[in-house]
Amino acid sequence: MVLVLVIGDMHIPYRSSKIPPKFKKLLVPGKIQHILCTGNLCLRETHDYLKSISSDVHVVRGDFDLNTNYPEQKVLTVGQFKIGLIHGHQVVPWGDSDAIAAVRRQLDVDVMVSGHTHKLEAYEKDGNFYINPGSVTGAYSPLDKNPIPAFILMDIQSSTLVTYVYSLPPNGEMEVKKIEFKKGEKSED
Amino acid sequence: RINLRMDVDQSRYLDAAKDAVKREAFNMQRSLDKGLLMDGLRHATEMLNELRTSILTPKNYYELYMMVTMELTHLNMYMSAEFIKENKIADLYELVQHAGNILPRLYLLITVGVVYIRSEECSRKDILQDLVEMCRGVQHPLRGLFLRNFLLTSTRDVLPDFDTKTAEEGSIDDSINFILLNFSEMNKLWVRMQHQGHTRDRSKREQERLELKLLVGTNLERLSRLEGVTVERYEKQILPAVLKQLVNCKDSIAQEYLMDCIIQVFPDEFHLRTLENTFLDTCCQPQSQVNVRNIIISIIGRLSNFAQADPANIPNEIKLFDIFSIKVTQIIQSRSEMPSEDIIALQSALMKLALNVYPTEVGYVNQVLQNTLIIFQNEESRANGCSGELSKLLRVPIDHYQDILIVLHLSAYPKLLRFLELCTRKELCMYIAEHIIETDTLIYSHDQVDQLLTLVECLVADCAEKPVSNIEDPDDFDCQQALVGRLVHQMTSQVPDQQFLILNTCKKHLVVGGNRRIRFTLPSLIFKAVSLCQTYHEVHEEDDKWEKKVTKILQYITSLLSALIKAEYWELSLRLYLQAALVCDAMGVSNAEAMGYEFISHAFAIYEEEVCDSKAQLMAISLIIATFEKTTNFCEENHEPLRSQCFRASSKLLKKPDQCRAVSLCAHLYWSGKNKEEGGNQLQNSTKVLECLKKAVRISNQCMEPTVQVQLFIELLNKYVYFLGNGCEEVSESVLSQLVGKIKEDLPGLESGDITRQIVNHFGTTLGFLEHHHELLF
Repeated sequence: MVLVLVIGDMHIPYRSSKIPPKFKKLLVPGKIQHILCTGNLCLRETHDYLKSISSDVHVVRGDFDLNTNYPEQKVLTVGQFKIGLIHGHQVVPWGDSDAIAAVRRQLDVDVMVSGHTHKLEAYEKDGNFYINPGSVTGAYSPLDKNPIPAFILMDIQSSTLVTYVYSLPPNGEMEVKKIEFKKGEKSED
Repeated sequence: RINLRMDVDQSRYLDAAKDAVKREAFNMQRSLDKGLLMDGLRHATEMLNELRTSILTPKNYYELYMMVTMELTHLNMYMSAEFIKENKIADLYELVQHAGNILPRLYLLITVGVVYIRSEECSRKDILQDLVEMCRGVQHPLRGLFLRNFLLTSTRDVLPDFDTKTAEEGSIDDSINFILLNFSEMNKLWVRMQHQGHTRDRSKREQERLELKLLVGTNLERLSRLEGVTVERYEKQILPAVLKQLVNCKDSIAQEYLMDCIIQVFPDEFHLRTLENTFLDTCCQPQSQVNVRNIIISIIGRLSNFAQADPANIPNEIKLFDIFSIKVTQIIQSRSEMPSEDIIALQSALMKLALNVYPTEVGYVNQVLQNTLIIFQNEESRANGCSGELSKLLRVPIDHYQDILIVLHLSAYPKLLRFLELCTRKELCMYIAEHIIETDTLIYSHDQVDQLLTLVECLVADCAEKPVSNIEDPDDFDCQQALVGRLVHQMTSQVPDQQFLILNTCKKHLVVGGNRRIRFTLPSLIFKAVSLCQTYHEVHEEDDKWEKKVTKILQYITSLLSALIKAEYWELSLRLYLQAALVCDAMGVSNAEAMGYEFISHAFAIYEEEVCDSKAQLMAISLIIATFEKTTNFCEENHEPLRSQCFRASSKLLKKPDQCRAVSLCAHLYWSGKNKEEGGNQLQNSTKVLECLKKAVRISNQCMEPTVQVQLFIELLNKYVYFLGNGCEEVSESVLSQLVGKIKEDLPGLESGDITRQIVNHFGTTLGFLEHHHELLF
């Protein structure tokens, strides 16, 4: 069992004051093997916080990550899954699934992780898996009227990927949804 | 007797004395077993002689004393057994008065006296009086203290209490007088120790005195255990006598310890009754070296706990807070030498009293702060060096109320804050800010926002301070300002008009923060303003002035952006202009549209004039294109120039690959871009899309590097695939096949390596996609 935290678009301090305490309580150090951060932290403090949760933290550059050296994109392998990571402001049109599929093709990954839209998504398309952890702080987005604070936890066991989608809707009660994805034969897309 | 304490080996001496005691005790016991009383008494006397020493330290004397007095209990038991039978106690009492030295004589007298009292053949009162008076014969402090302690402990069970019946037995008053006399004599002896010997040994002497303090305090404890001691007796007899002794002795060790003793051993009801007139008045008098601070804090703490245990414990007429508040002020005023930490410690105790016992009286808390403030205002030097303590005091209301809005009501708070040293002040302000964020407190009125930002003014702007002692660490400064930026989000009202007032108040305070600060603080305001526009838009049917209000907000945003521009934050401002443009577009009204056009123009201006690095240029133009693609409400008159501008700027990038990529992005503007004329539909201008992509292909043909060229071709191929998939008719099979052919031609010629592998792979997945989704085989 390998736990991968997928999280991003915190936008602290410009659009949000803090990560929701209910989330922080769950993000206990030592339990998570890898962290994939879609970017737009925007403070080094936030990066340090992620490093306190897990020693293996991958961050890609968001449009508001100024004065940083984060790469535009990243590819890594966990278990049998090749995972791609990009913030998403580079992908035009924003939020377009065909456009993000093109990035997936370029990186040739099984799982494509992107952010920027603050829209929580986890769907399968043509045999590949697309994940958007939304904004963990529910920060303002011009593309979404009322973003909900969210993050995603992936549990990878050889060829099975189980995603746990955590969100905090306005009524304050945390919701968790489970979606399973099996890496079948690599279908031609 | 020469005081040879310093030179003699204490433990050797003590061991020798203990051996002697053991020996004589053994002999005493043996004699008593044989019924030989006189022999027994003689051995007892020998034993007691060991207590005549001047050489032992108090600790060692105590050890010897314990040993001896334990042996004396055997004597006591013997006498009780033998002599009560034969009614000869009176004789015995007479007999022991003939012992040689006074110390053994008195120990024996006390021992016999207690037996005598128990026999009930005498006047209890007279014997007790006798004993307590006769002890005056020993004036040596150490020996006298232990002797009188022996008196007190021996008579523990025979002191008359409230239930004694006859005059001869004595009354509770007799016991009180007995103990009071014993107490004052012991205190005199104790105080006398202070003045014995050389001044250089003073601290050692004081240490020894402290080791003996319990001996004196036990008198008070014994008094408190008398059942018959009512609050009247305490008020009229005991307390005045004890306080008189304390005041007259003029000794600070005695005063401090014994006042604390009084507080601890007597019940809270007694303290309440005597608080104002007797107890606290005396506190004001003692010598100025007395640590009156600890005494006051002790009594406040005790009565506080008493009140909290049950509010009914405090009678309504006793206004605890007022009483203490006035007295503390008097004490502080009368002692100009009182150190600042002590002043603050006293205020802190008062504050805790107010918070714990009178939780609804916020005014009390403010009064404490006000009183402290007055002290510092009258004499500024008193504020020096106590920043740490003052800071702790100021944290108490925050931690207690947990709601910063209450703290904002304390009018003296911000003024007192200014007396902290700058770095401590900043720390406290950060504490306040963090507290607000952690507890998710919302500051929902512009007046409160104004108060809060005034309170933390040292964070939001430079202070006209005397020279700063150290240069601030830049990372720390940035953390501080990020905190302020975060704090902004807690200043929020659900009522839009109020929210606008809040934003204006924030701007007033934050815009003067200087360049290093505004980078962290103004963007937060801009995003809140942008959010507010959306809010007004959502409820526009309920508010016919909404357009005007949105215009004002957009002007507000403009002014903040001007400040950031002036401070030369180019990249940040560019992005913020784009965000502002999006919200303008969402408003869907013409004056907002005009401002949106302005904003994008500003973004272009920054891009053209200030973004110099080629990588940054590509990022910036891509961002402009991507943002513009999302707008929907520009009329064609505005939309067209912006489209063209995007295209022109893309074509003018320095590096060919960058040009290629940026131009290919422009294709999207002609396809999924929207304007007012299309009324919510996409432009879907196939011709223009193809023009862009063909231009991009032409540019990549001009790339010199083969690997880069092929990479670009494949990316463009994917762009074609995208538009094909979205229904762009002009993306024909022949267009695709031309490009595919070119790629296939060039691929083999590439140098082998990782990048080539990736490119080949990318081509493969693209072809696969075409086959699978469009049934096009190449």
